[in-house]
Amino acid sequence: MTKKPFRPDVDAPVYKGPYVPYDIIKEGAIAVLVVFILTAALALVFSSPDEKAVTIKTWSNADAVDFAQTAGDELAGTSAVANYGAPYNNNGTSQHWGFLSPEKWIGVRIQINTTNDFVIDPLSAQPAQPALSAALSQWKSASSATQTAWDDAFNKAEPNLTYSNGKVNIPTKAAGPIPVLLNYETQMARSGALDQALVTQAGFYTTNFTKPLLFVSDGTYFAGLAEKQHLSGSQWGMMNETGQYPGQAWLWLYTFWYQIHPYSTSASADFLVWGTMMILTALMVLVPFIPGLRSIPRKIKIYRIIWREHYAAKL
Amino acid sequence: MAQGWGLGALINLDHYGHYIHWGVIQVSVGNFIVMVLMVASFLAALFAPFPGRRNRKGAK
Repeated sequence: MTKKPFRPDVDAPVYKGPYVPYDIIKEGAIAVLVVFILTAALALVFSSPDEKAVTIKTWSNADAVDFAQTAGDELAGTSAVANYGAPYNNNGTSQHWGFLSPEKWIGVRIQINTTNDFVIDPLSAQPAQPALSAALSQWKSASSATQTAWDDAFNKAEPNLTYSNGKVNIPTKAAGPIPVLLNYETQMARSGALDQALVTQAGFYTTNFTKPLLFVSDGTYFAGLAEKQHLSGSQWGMMNETGQYPGQAWLWLYTFWYQIHPYSTSASADFLVWGTMMILTALMVLVPFIPGLRSIPRKIKIYRIIWREHYAAKL
Repeated sequence: MAQGWGLGALINLDHYGHYIHWGVIQVSVGNFIVMVLMVASFLAALFAPFPGRRNRKGAK
């Protein structure tokens, strides 16, 4: 039988050096104890982030104009969520990389019709009030062409929308029932009833916050808070934490791609970044099988620094 | 934060953070400190002598 040649990155040589006793249980116990003491001490000194949750109630009370404008966009179907595409609806272009488009393949799994889900249905569930009931009837019985004409009138007046004395003021007379609907929607939001309505629509267990989260994400208020805390995508936000706390530093490579072209300008940035990271992760997992890449540890010889005593003895 | 227990952080970090900008790179001071500590730990692991080395001399 012929002896196979020794392959330095694949075969392990027979160890002929000295042996020493080593208590790995003792080392593990010490490591756990040190980490426990460090964790307790750091928690005592710094505590943890304590940012209050942003709800539709807090948003509409902090910035009623932004809320009413966003609610108008949801009603008109012109918001970002209304035009996102899968998994919420069929209105947008799915993120893709060439012919790869998992969003499109999986399809609409969380059906969101912003007009009905965010405005009409919650208002319809309110106790009967003549003005609201009349506005809802007017909206529901109108043709889609008429609704579009009202939406267009609202969109033109939207930049000049104001809020004063508990009322949303929309400077147009051509928006049909929209001003009445948005006034009731804003009242509902400021009381906290809209948060509840959007959550309870999800079923018996009130743990599904998809709808209120999507609604909040369509406004500029929430994005403004994120910008202040350096949490948005263009600010390496994925690796940041609120306040002065350190965040997820290990996500630096994931968020790095969002800062450079073509990722930073692509409408499919999320999918492109995910795809890039999957390729890099596959390369890392497969290092032992990739010639050249697997030789790097052997060639840069950092192991010889760690085990310098052993290699010094061999000289 | 456990305010209900009458305890709070000795050092309150719930203020807007400070950030280091260098071209396209932005990193919070908190993250930067953690990164420096990680690099320092790595260098210590490389160059610090193993504990109990003296006791092992000549061991077989």
